[in-house]
Amino acid sequence: MIARRDVPARLVERRELSPTCFSLLLATMERLPAEPGQFGMLSCGQGLDPLLRRPFSVAGVRPLGSGWGVELLVKEVGRGTAWLRRAPLGTILELLAPLGHGFNLEAAASTRAALVAGGIGLPPVLFAAERLAETGAPFDLFLGAATGDELLEIKRCRAAAGAVGGKLVLCTDDGSVGEPGFVTTALARRFAAGQRWERVLACGPDPMLQALARWSVTEGVVAELSLEEPMACGVGVCLGCVVELADGRRVASCKEGPVFEAARLAARWRP
Amino acid sequence: MRVDLSTAVGALTLANPVMAASGTFGYGLDLLDLCPPECLGAVVTKGLSPAPRAGNPTPRIVETAAGMINAIGLQNIGVEAFCQEAAGELARRGATVIVNVFGERPEQYRAVIERCERAEGIAGYELNVSCPNVDHGGMEFGHDPHQLEALTALCRAATSKSLWVKLSPNAPDLVGTAHAAVAGGADALTLINTLRAMAIDPYRRRPVLATAFGGLSGPAIKPIALRMLYEVHCALPTVPLVGIGGIETGSDVVEFLLAGASAVQVGTAIFRHPAAPLRILSELEDFCVAQKVGELRALIGGLRWP
Repeated sequence: MIARRDVPARLVERRELSPTCFSLLLATMERLPAEPGQFGMLSCGQGLDPLLRRPFSVAGVRPLGSGWGVELLVKEVGRGTAWLRRAPLGTILELLAPLGHGFNLEAAASTRAALVAGGIGLPPVLFAAERLAETGAPFDLFLGAATGDELLEIKRCRAAAGAVGGKLVLCTDDGSVGEPGFVTTALARRFAAGQRWERVLACGPDPMLQALARWSVTEGVVAELSLEEPMACGVGVCLGCVVELADGRRVASCKEGPVFEAARLAARWRP
Repeated sequence: MRVDLSTAVGALTLANPVMAASGTFGYGLDLLDLCPPECLGAVVTKGLSPAPRAGNPTPRIVETAAGMINAIGLQNIGVEAFCQEAAGELARRGATVIVNVFGERPEQYRAVIERCERAEGIAGYELNVSCPNVDHGGMEFGHDPHQLEALTALCRAATSKSLWVKLSPNAPDLVGTAHAAVAGGADALTLINTLRAMAIDPYRRRPVLATAFGGLSGPAIKPIALRMLYEVHCALPTVPLVGIGGIETGSDVVEFLLAGASAVQVGTAIFRHPAAPLRILSELEDFCVAQKVGELRALIGGLRWP
C-alpha cells in the first residue's frame, strides 16, 4: 500500500544546531507514516525559483498539538536551504512524504547494531536510534563531523544510545571533540579488537559510506547505507537519482533506496 | 456553466487537452495515487527503444533559474517490458496512451511501433527525434529535413494510429523540419523538446552534468516554446499541434491554445507537483467559466493578431 501524501506543512519551529545546520519542525494535519531512512520532498520557495523541491531524510515524527510534527535536519548548502533557514515561522510548505525505502529496523533490533552518522547524514540515523531506543533494542552510535561544532544533537544521541546500554562514540576530523579521525576508523578499530555488530546503519558523505561499504563486505557485516543523490521528483519518474547496482542495473534511489545494502551496490562504492 | 474541455489532435479525440509529457510520468503507472492516468487527456510514455537502455552516467540533472537541465539519456525498460507490464493495465484503467518512440536507427523506430501494434490500448505514437542527450539517433533525425521525412514515412507505413513528431527547438530550421514531418505523414507535431543547455560549477570549474550538455526545461523556456509553436502554426495552419514547454498553470495552457495548439503536455511541473496536471486542468476549467468559454476548442488558434 502506498502511504505517501502531498500535504501542506506549517513551519512551527526552527533551531540552530551548528554554524551551518538547523532543524525544522513541520506541522501536518495527519500523521505521515515515515520510517527511519525514508524521506520527503519539501518545497523551498514560493515562486518558480527555486523550481524544484529538495529531498530531506525524516529525522522524526511525533504528535504535535492536535496534529502531527515532522522533524527535519537541514544543512544550508544552496538557494533552497538558505530560503528554508530564513522562511518565517508559520510559512506553509509543501511536503510529499514518506518516500522510498528506509532501514530494516526489524533486522537491526534483532541483533546489536552499529549506527553511524557523518555530518548532516545524522537525520535518518537519529530517527533509527530513537526508534530502536523506544523498542529497547541495543545499539552503539558513532557520530562524526569535520569539527566539533558540526557534531549535531549530541545530547539526543547520547540519551538514545544510553537508554539501551549502548555507547556514543564521537569523532572529529580536527580532533577538537572526541576521537580524532573518521568514524569509520573508530568503528573498524573496535571491531578488530573484538567488538561485534552484525548490522551497520549509516548515512553520511560518500567517502564515509564507501569506506563502510568496503569494510562491511570484507568483514561480512551487513551495512545499510542511506545514499544522497540529486533528484528532481522523488517519485521515480525523472530518473535523475539513479544508483548503479552490482548487477549493472541503474535504479532510481528515490524508489529502490535511498537505503541500499552495501553488497548490492556497484563496485565503485567499494573502492 | 458547464465547459466542454474535449479536444482533438487530428483524428484522435481527447477528453481534455492536458497530457503528461514523455519522461516525466514514467510508463503511466508510477503515480496512480497522486495523478491517475485516466484523468488526463493522454499519457505520453517515457521514450521506448527496442531494447532496454541504461542511460547516461550521473549527475544527470541540475536546477537552473526557473528551470532544470537533464541528461538522462533515454534510460528505459524497452518496448517489450512496457507492452507486457504496463500497456494492459493502462488500457484497463481507460487511459489514453501515446508511446514515445526512440531508436538509434530508423528501423529501430519502426520496430518499437510494430511491437506496440500487437499490444492493447495504444492510441498513437510520438517520434522522439529531438532528444539532445544521446550520441546516436534522436536529434540527428530531427535536424535534417530529408532524414526526418524518410523516418516519418517509414513509421507511417507501420501504423494507421496517430503519429506525432516531437520537434527539436535546436534544429537550425524549425519550420523546415515541421514541413518535412508532415510530408512524411505525421498527423500532428509536438513542440518543443528541451533546449540544449549547460551549467557550470564555478568552484570546481567543471560542467555540472556528467555529459556537460543537457536539455533545459521548465518555466524558463515557456516564452520560447510559445514563439516556436506560433511560428509553426502560422506556417502550417491546418496541422494539429501539441504544445509543451514550461506549462505550470491553467492560463499557460490557454496561451498555448491561442497560439495554435490543440492540446498540451505538462512535464517538469510534474516533478514539482506530481498532481500538477490535475490542478492545471481545474484552473483551465475555471478560466473558461470566468471568461464564458463554453467549448475549449473555441480557444484554439484564437490569438488576435495582427
